[in-house]
Amino acid sequence: MKNLFEKWKTRIPKYSETHKDLFTSLSQKFGAEGEKKINLGKHFSTNYELYTYAFFLGLYNNEFAPIPDGEKKTDFSHHIQHWGSKTTVSTRKDFTNLQENIFIALIAKTDIDLVALEKGELDEDDAVKLLIKTMESYTNGGLILIKEKLEENPNYFLQPTSFLNMILETEKV
Amino acid sequence: MIIRKIQIDNYLCYYDTNTFELSEGLNIILGENGEGKTKFFESVDWLFNGENRELDMLVSAKKLNETEIGDSFRVRVSMTVEQYGEKSIITKSFLAKKEKANECSTSSFMIEGISENSSGERTQVDGQALLDRIFPFQIRKYSMFKGEAELNIFESDSALANLINLFSEAKHYDKYSEKGAFLREKAEKAVEDSSKLDRKNEALYKKLEGDIIYLEREKAKYLVHLNSTEEEIRKIEGNLQLAESHVSNADALETLNKRIKDIEERISYLTGRIDENYTTSLFDENWILVNFESFHKEFAEKVSAHSKTRRELQSQFDEQKGIIKGEKKAKAELLNNAIPLPNNIPSKAIMEEMLNDEICKVCNREAKKGSDAYEFMMKRLKTYLESQVTEDNKPDKDEPLFKYDYTNRLDNLSISHEDNLKNLRLIRTKIKELFEFNDDRKKDIEELNEQLEKEKTEREKILGNSSIGAEKLSDVLKNYNAWQRDLKNRNQDQVDYTTKLKSLESELKAKKEEKDKIDTSSANSFLIKTRNILRDIETIFIDTKEKKFDEFIEKLQTKSNNFFKTINIDAFTGTIVFTRRNKVNRTIVEVELQEDGRTFYKPNQSLLTSMHISILFAISELASEIKEENFPMIFDAPTSSFGENKTAQFLNLIFETENQKILLIKDFLHTDKATKTLSIKKEFENVRRDKAFWVKLERPFDPNNLKTINSQVITL
Repeated sequence: MKNLFEKWKTRIPKYSETHKDLFTSLSQKFGAEGEKKINLGKHFSTNYELYTYAFFLGLYNNEFAPIPDGEKKTDFSHHIQHWGSKTTVSTRKDFTNLQENIFIALIAKTDIDLVALEKGELDEDDAVKLLIKTMESYTNGGLILIKEKLEENPNYFLQPTSFLNMILETEKV
Repeated sequence: MIIRKIQIDNYLCYYDTNTFELSEGLNIILGENGEGKTKFFESVDWLFNGENRELDMLVSAKKLNETEIGDSFRVRVSMTVEQYGEKSIITKSFLAKKEKANECSTSSFMIEGISENSSGERTQVDGQALLDRIFPFQIRKYSMFKGEAELNIFESDSALANLINLFSEAKHYDKYSEKGAFLREKAEKAVEDSSKLDRKNEALYKKLEGDIIYLEREKAKYLVHLNSTEEEIRKIEGNLQLAESHVSNADALETLNKRIKDIEERISYLTGRIDENYTTSLFDENWILVNFESFHKEFAEKVSAHSKTRRELQSQFDEQKGIIKGEKKAKAELLNNAIPLPNNIPSKAIMEEMLNDEICKVCNREAKKGSDAYEFMMKRLKTYLESQVTEDNKPDKDEPLFKYDYTNRLDNLSISHEDNLKNLRLIRTKIKELFEFNDDRKKDIEELNEQLEKEKTEREKILGNSSIGAEKLSDVLKNYNAWQRDLKNRNQDQVDYTTKLKSLESELKAKKEEKDKIDTSSANSFLIKTRNILRDIETIFIDTKEKKFDEFIEKLQTKSNNFFKTINIDAFTGTIVFTRRNKVNRTIVEVELQEDGRTFYKPNQSLLTSMHISILFAISELASEIKEENFPMIFDAPTSSFGENKTAQFLNLIFETENQKILLIKDFLHTDKATKTLSIKKEFENVRRDKAFWVKLERPFDPNNLKTINSQVITL
């Protein structure tokens, strides 16, 4: 039995370089927990946290915004399967459930011809590529939303509730 | 060692030659203020420790006055001592030459030593060396009690540690621990070199070495931080105690301080309980899935639709392939020729259960054995079981319709997350609850803060009711609050640094173990064994040395407290506590007075004096025990802050100790109001002593004219 999820999680999704400054200002490469995170003035402990957050934000707001062809893409060299890995930080919880839910959303939102896939007419790698593209598009949409918030009010994220509120507010959508 | 005689020539008020023939036991020298007691003490101190400068300040004015210009005379302090039946004379002197009226020039001083053996044979020896041999300077330092104004010998932090090192057996281990460290270092180096030969380890090994050096440095840094923080804490506590001593209502202040501390602790506890890491909870508590349900639904629908399509296609395919229709029919005997569910639904276990209970638990109807429904279920189970077997046994000759099965895993994912949905629905409630909880805690904190303010105002009122002047009071008040704040911060620092040190130590240990592991796998095993043995040996030496040192401190502490309790009989004393502190590259010993384990920073003068005298006695007694010899002790006005009772206790105690004592006091003298004549009180007759002297100025004298000053020594 084949497993798309297993294949998908070995990938590294990308984001547009235009959002690089968001990652440098909001999250911490290599991770920072607790006091270190606060001292660095970061809101997200890791880059993949911001990425995950932006994905759900884009998803809930239906901001499907593929990265334009002209924009350079970049990533933070971290495979999805290692996101929230228990081995690195002991104080935090495992991300498996979140990974599965991201995947569920991607299957729901990506137009993949499953029949063709199972018949062997559609290559598995191509299917996974489609999933990643969806992921990148929603994330890009989410990042644009965060950027807009910041442009509106540079101090918006100083409140501890800011990021939570942005997610909660999408209920109306 | 016994001082037999002290002779003072032309030293300040001691004009010409003055001799004190001393006894082995207690020698009491009486004298009024300003009549020569302290000058006696200082002359002995000069003999022991005096420096070669401002010698003209030590010259007897009377002698200088009598001397013709151009003539000279000698200023001299000489001491005849007896040790192990051998007599020695140590003399320190210089030449004073009168240049003009009231002015003289002086030569450098010289120390002469004369050693006389039991048969009376005299030899000239180096005076300083002789002095240091018969009366070592570390002991000299603690044999002289310079009066209450100069009790700082215990404040020099390494002096006491040096003394203990000299006396305790710890010193014997010094050379071993040095040698041990040397050998261990050699062995470590040998193992390291051997490990480095293993090329593949080289990079890792170097990294570990770097890490270890870095951690050691960090550790040393934090140790310095910790030490200075502890010092600051002690200083602040001392300041607070001093300020509190001005306060009339000390008990109420203490209660208040306790309450304030309590409230502050509760605030910090509550602050710790408020979890405002909402962004982190988005992930760890899966809050981010709060709006996910519709997406799950979309996914589940998509998967099930696909699953249906797949089975439909398979069915058609099978038909076309000409597979026996009857067999297939058996699998799909559904009304209206509907598409059957996948074989494995419901699962084997559930099918067996339903057959066993003879109920279809899907439609909640009876399915008695033999009924159509029962047979239908039985057939499905069989089909499922067959499908499990045949797949392997009967390789398809023909190309199947679906090469791969992705559907199964997608189905499973859909089912397993179905259960999750109810958790997703709870997220909003959970978030709300946490917000409420945090709000409540914040309210609690607000209330506590109000209470804290009230208590602090109360404290200011109490502090206001104190014995110091109003303008000074505002300073104290300001400082008091600042000190309290500082103390709180420094205490926090102390905790932080201690934690940091612990974590550094464990990190260091881990790194060292990792390094050792590389050694074990790559270095010569003989070298490793040798190194391990040498490491153990070094540890043993160091531990033993510290143990011996601590044993001595313990002994000193016990003895000091015994003397202390005796002098202060029936009065509050507290406990003298000696603490060894390891600083970065030296060891120091600190003395403090404690009351119930709490440092007592500002004891009164009498308590402080008796504490220092007790320690001196203890040191002297220990010196006697270890050197198997007694050393003399010289006290200048030790009892001026003592009451009568304490003075009596002190004199009794001092009489009973075994070594030679020279005690300078102003008690027992009486000045007749009318005639201004001095006499010795009758009570002195009852004082137990071995010998007594009276130093007094030759009458008449002019207090404003040094040339008329001459202390006479009267042996009583």
